[in-house]
Amino acid sequence: MARIVLENLVKTFGAGVTAVAGVSLDIQDGEFMIFVGPSGCGKTTTLNMICGLEQPTSGQVIIGDRVVNDLEPGERHLGMVFQNLALFPHMTVFENIAFGLRVRKVPTADLNERVSRIAETFQITHLLAKKPAQCSGGEAQRVALARTTISSPDVLLLDEPLSSLDAKLRVEMRTELKRLHEQLRSTFVYVTHDQAEAMTMADRIAVMQGGRIQQLGTPLEIYRRPANLFVAGFFGMPTMNLISGRICDSDSPRFQSENLDLKLPAKAVPRTGTDRDVCIGVRSEHVLLGAQGAAGRVQLTEPLGDETLVFFDYGGPSQLVAKYRGDRTFNVGEAIVFDFDPKGVLVFDAEDETRLA
Amino acid sequence: MAATSPPHASTAAVRRRRLFPYFRHAVLIAWSLIVLFPIFWMVSTSFKGSGEWIAWPPHWLPHQPTLYNYQQILAVGPLATAPSREATEQVYNIWKAVGDSVAIATLSSLVALLMGTFLAYSISRFNVGGKNFRYLVLTIRMVPPIVIAIPILMYYAVLMPYTTDLLLGVRISLFDTYVGLGLLYVATTLPFVIWMMLSFIDEVPYTLEHAARIMGAGRLYTLRRVVLPLVASGMMVTFLFIFILNWSEFLLSLTLTQPQVSTLPVLLNKFQSAVEGRLYGPQAAIGTVITLPVVVLGILIQKHLITGFSFGMLRK
Repeated sequence: MARIVLENLVKTFGAGVTAVAGVSLDIQDGEFMIFVGPSGCGKTTTLNMICGLEQPTSGQVIIGDRVVNDLEPGERHLGMVFQNLALFPHMTVFENIAFGLRVRKVPTADLNERVSRIAETFQITHLLAKKPAQCSGGEAQRVALARTTISSPDVLLLDEPLSSLDAKLRVEMRTELKRLHEQLRSTFVYVTHDQAEAMTMADRIAVMQGGRIQQLGTPLEIYRRPANLFVAGFFGMPTMNLISGRICDSDSPRFQSENLDLKLPAKAVPRTGTDRDVCIGVRSEHVLLGAQGAAGRVQLTEPLGDETLVFFDYGGPSQLVAKYRGDRTFNVGEAIVFDFDPKGVLVFDAEDETRLA
Repeated sequence: MAATSPPHASTAAVRRRRLFPYFRHAVLIAWSLIVLFPIFWMVSTSFKGSGEWIAWPPHWLPHQPTLYNYQQILAVGPLATAPSREATEQVYNIWKAVGDSVAIATLSSLVALLMGTFLAYSISRFNVGGKNFRYLVLTIRMVPPIVIAIPILMYYAVLMPYTTDLLLGVRISLFDTYVGLGLLYVATTLPFVIWMMLSFIDEVPYTLEHAARIMGAGRLYTLRRVVLPLVASGMMVTFLFIFILNWSEFLLSLTLTQPQVSTLPVLLNKFQSAVEGRLYGPQAAIGTVITLPVVVLGILIQKHLITGFSFGMLRK
């Protein structure tokens, strides 16, 4: 079957450019794994090493129970959907889908039947005679998926396949991809820089930066218990509030920074967190706007319908944001009082940026 | 254009904008007339009798149109059998030269196109020869042909027969052979093919080949089914371009052939007689005959010419 094991993968380009700096990962059979990170973090290079378009500088790629380092991409029994879809512009949709079968010299009758069957699955039968340029964005996407899945590969690799679609279609395609994964039950490895895509689709997420995996876990683990400041800042919209300061007195701890002095409940603060330079992180939904706490002044509001994002200044170096559910309207310049929900306060070391537990 | 102009635009500006297309066309028409005039003159002369060739004032159109010149060069009609009284009435059979020209120009252009396309692919995809190779390739064209013509003549006519005689006991000479001239045509047009095909192949996205590779296609299969069909228009354009070069090449052909092999441009130059000097009528007729295949070829692949030129060059 198609479990994928990456053992200490390294890829360097030319002199001193390290794209992937030691990635070890065990992707289970049938798992939906998503590599997420900013551009240049090494996620696409890692994907290319799995499919064989790049040779690892060192380390091993194991698919199923074979080391595939020396196998051609075509021999690894995997499918790949590219960012620009890479449909052959001079061939009809039919020929595009049939390409892989033609390469393997599948008999014509069998080929015709398989193409029409997969076209029905993806509802693109009416497009078969057209050229890719005549298809809409969503249709082209489905053609690319049909072309990739027709040979029922063990592993499906997807390199930012939704990035060229408009926002509405992208959300629709997420659902479709998830359904496809459930149908095929093959291993999906998906690369994206969009944390929302990662959150909604993945079984597990590998957050990458600087050629390394920063954190590996389920979407909720990564959202709630980010391993370090990078992960904390990368996930979540709006971005997590981060404030540098110190926590004093472990019995009735207080968080103190230049312009803020907040009492924290004892259980919110890890034992190792007191009397050292820290950075606390609080997501906007854990910033409470109410009757007690510190004072702030509203700078900007973004009503989202069911809730409102309130950006406010508390006198510190950057503004904070609160997600407010309720009917109250906030005006710019209005004075407010805010507090942090103790269960949402995360404490990070200011030096090495890891979360203190 | 006019729709986007503000309502209060000055009338002078509006008039200028309205007149611009006329001005542009006037310039283009004037330029076409300058370019086309020699061709018109050639075609016109080819239908003139010997008295009209250099008449003064010039006869823009032949006063007594005749097919005499064509009958002479193509060796058809009454001329082919009747005895001639003057030099201008001689029969000059150009069919052998037409055959030679067609064979050499077509084959060497095809070989150069094929080799150059594969070379361009390897330069584009594998950086063969290093970063500056694609520019260095063109330097071959900077050598004036006359500089290499004489050394190659020595090589073909003297050095090669001598060496092969010494080593193999057979005299092999490339002088005055199809292969000898064809090889040089391939060598001299190859840089153009590489240069032109590079611009087309560079435009084909890598990911198309990656996709084919992951679906199990080998290099050659991918090249044949994916890359070459996408640059087919470019190949047509390139072929026409180097075909014209080879078809009209004069200097190398003049130096390295005779009497076995003879191409049309060389033959054209031979049309003169002791009594009447240059035989402008037959020369013009040959010129017209030489030009025709290229024009016909151009018309046949016109569709590809347009897509080809806009594909590689304009979109950058």
